[in-house]
Amino acid sequence: MEEDIDGDIEDIEALNYDDLDNVSKLQKSQRFTDIMQKVEAALQNGSDISNHGMVLEDDPEYQLIVDCNVLSVDIENEIVIIHNFIRDKYRLKFPELESLVHHPIDYARVVKKIGNEMDLTLVDLEGLLPSAIIMVVSVTASTTSGKPLPEDVLQKTIDACDRALALDAAKKKVLDFVESRMSYIAPNLSAIVGSAVAAKLMGTAGGLSALAKMPACNVQLLGAKKKNLAGFSTATSQFRVGYLEQTEIFQSTPPPLRMRACRLLAAKSTLAARVDSTRGDPSGTAGRSFREEIHKKIEKWQEPPPAKQPKPLPVPDSEPKKKRGGRRLRKMKERYAVTDMRKLANRMLFGVPEESSLGDGLGEGYGMLGQAGSGKLRVSVGQSKLAAKVAKRFKEKSYGSSGATSGLTSSLAFTPVQVYISKHEFIGANLML
Amino acid sequence: MNATYDTPRRLILNLEMDEVLSSVAETIKNFAVIYLVDISEVPDFNTMYELYDPSTVMFFFRNKHIMIDLGTGNNNKINWALKDKQEFIDIVETVYRGARKGRGLVIAPKDYSTKYRY
Repeated sequence: MEEDIDGDIEDIEALNYDDLDNVSKLQKSQRFTDIMQKVEAALQNGSDISNHGMVLEDDPEYQLIVDCNVLSVDIENEIVIIHNFIRDKYRLKFPELESLVHHPIDYARVVKKIGNEMDLTLVDLEGLLPSAIIMVVSVTASTTSGKPLPEDVLQKTIDACDRALALDAAKKKVLDFVESRMSYIAPNLSAIVGSAVAAKLMGTAGGLSALAKMPACNVQLLGAKKKNLAGFSTATSQFRVGYLEQTEIFQSTPPPLRMRACRLLAAKSTLAARVDSTRGDPSGTAGRSFREEIHKKIEKWQEPPPAKQPKPLPVPDSEPKKKRGGRRLRKMKERYAVTDMRKLANRMLFGVPEESSLGDGLGEGYGMLGQAGSGKLRVSVGQSKLAAKVAKRFKEKSYGSSGATSGLTSSLAFTPVQVYISKHEFIGANLML
Repeated sequence: MNATYDTPRRLILNLEMDEVLSSVAETIKNFAVIYLVDISEVPDFNTMYELYDPSTVMFFFRNKHIMIDLGTGNNNKINWALKDKQEFIDIVETVYRGARKGRGLVIAPKDYSTKYRY
């Protein structure tokens, strides 16, 4: 535990080191200088198409490109480290700047321009930043709590800025080189998205095979900017698109279809990258056919929907009603089914006059209900399937609504008694059937 | 199946019914066909069906005349201009259903007893 804490403290101290070289080692490394030399040489020589015949892996240029991809990722990380360094040093002078200008390279440029100047009206930031941000920066600078830096700290900061800018320039060179070779390395991918974007994608992914292994949803997000600059609305921010935003296909789709186009592009370009990583189609025809597909699909989306035809009415009663079945329907129908009591009331015994509600043949006839010879001693209203539900609801309504019932009252006291009706109770009573 | 009988002389009034009939024709074509008959050109049935009004709609199913109880007292025909398309479609559908079951008299879904006008 203690060792870990010590290690952490060491790391934090490392960030506070005055000397940039202890933190950022890439630029001085041998690997970096080697690759940069080769890249420059290759850029000057122009592309060499005669290498097509060779197997890709043996080609020294291919190896160089693979190295370039790894290097560009390393350069990015390096730039982040240097940015942190600059930021830490410049905090004493202008703390708010880091939250206004997020991009590391822009930050480095701005720091270099401002230097130790306290009055920002003397500093011209035109061209380095969008004018809105320049305004915000100037306003914040007038109320900043920072103090001018001591000379040596300032010098180191400016050095670090120079380093960052140099690394950025190197990265650009590397990307340009990769881009120029793109149609050779990954013909299918560059057929779909264009060589610039293809180079960027490959650079960020860290190589063609790395790009091929990514699922399409990740490819879509490569290069997506996350942070939103202070105070600017998020309503216009394009969501979930990365480098693919810069492709010609994306730019030429109308805005409502852009999300779908982006997903489509990501999917097809991932396929193309996979084809390229295995050198399945060196001529690039697969890429071109993908591109055609994408164009066709986008065209299809933009078609107007087919006009609505007024439909003539179907012949009445020609389509039988779709009857449902099942337990639920059966339970529903039970509520309206003819009960046993009603069935009995509908029938009559032969030769035996029935009783009626008003007596003497007037009123509702009771049929076989309550007749002596009917074979039943009593008619039990035992349809517990339905009655139970109704009884429960009734109980809840009349006893459950008053909130004053104490928790000790048991529901057993209110169970409805099973009704069996004798003949005498019957006459004069309403037939509740 | 149904047929209308129209006189051309009072065109302005008749067009209301014609309008309804023509707009409805496509919708009900699966079970009803509309024939427009000019009674000044075909006077053969004028006495038989008492065709004296500007517009008259009668219903026939398989060569049998179907009567409709509209509440007006005259069950044989609709002799005013029915303006609402949906009402007319409802009447045709009722006639069709009843006629297919074999009824000679169907009851119209809407009552026109105090409402009919020329």
